[in-house]
Amino acid sequence: MPALTTTTRALARTWTAHQLPAARACTAAVQQTRSVSEVSSTSSFDSPFKGSGSSTKIPSFAAYRNKSGGETGPKVFSYFMVGTMGALSALGAKATVQDFLVNMSASADVLAQAKVEIDLAAIPEGKNVIIKWRGKPVFIRHRTEDEIKEAEDTKWESLRDPEPDSERVKKPEWLIMLGVCTHLGCVPIGEAGDFGGWFCPCHGSHYDISGRIRKGPAPLNLEVPAYEFPEDGKVIIG
Amino acid sequence: MPGISSSLYNIFLRRNTVMLGTVFAAAFGLQLAFDAGSDRIWDAINKGRQWKDIKHRYVEAPEEE
Repeated sequence: MPALTTTTRALARTWTAHQLPAARACTAAVQQTRSVSEVSSTSSFDSPFKGSGSSTKIPSFAAYRNKSGGETGPKVFSYFMVGTMGALSALGAKATVQDFLVNMSASADVLAQAKVEIDLAAIPEGKNVIIKWRGKPVFIRHRTEDEIKEAEDTKWESLRDPEPDSERVKKPEWLIMLGVCTHLGCVPIGEAGDFGGWFCPCHGSHYDISGRIRKGPAPLNLEVPAYEFPEDGKVIIG
Repeated sequence: MPGISSSLYNIFLRRNTVMLGTVFAAAFGLQLAFDAGSDRIWDAINKGRQWKDIKHRYVEAPEEE
């Protein structure tokens, strides 16, 4: 058995040793004869590589090379382009967000009705005027000297909602506040109550001449809206 | 030219925070320029048709206040 194996191996070796080079030579000869030109002349396929001696031709990138020598110039250019892109996208993002937010805010016709201008010259001293502003009553009181003095001399530190009179008025003779009781939203009655100011008939809250809660269930002073005096004798509420 | 570009690089681009600030400042400026420019173009196209152009025909004198 071993003898047989060795002989077959030897036979196989000799066979390959003799046969393979011949086969290789044969195929090489075939390949040599079938050159590119012969293929193209004998078949209908038109080879794109016909006629070119070597197929590898590296193009020249010299035109695209950085000629200035340093790397700063191209770097600045690249970063400039990046920064410009960033700036433009920031602009677009800001505009988008702003458009959405502006869309939610009040429109011009609403804003035009949101302010009320009142001629104060028509209000004599010691009189109340009630106007409507954004659907709510607003009290305007032209206070007399005595009333101003009374409002300022009150010991406001011990009140339920302590607020000095100077924080509630811009000009002492004009008291402007929302005529909505802070308890449950009734409209108080002017020049009534125990403190010479307002009295809410619903549950008996008494406000003084500065609109501060003095007695009754209301928890807070009458609210003061935003207002300004653009000139003498005029007030704009809103 | 290399001097200008390298100083530009050193001032604005070397630190990322500085570059970010520059970008946002540029965005702010661009916005102002864009708004002003587009308003001007709009006014030029609609010249004589806007209220501010024809107001003087209807409002004789400013209202007494």
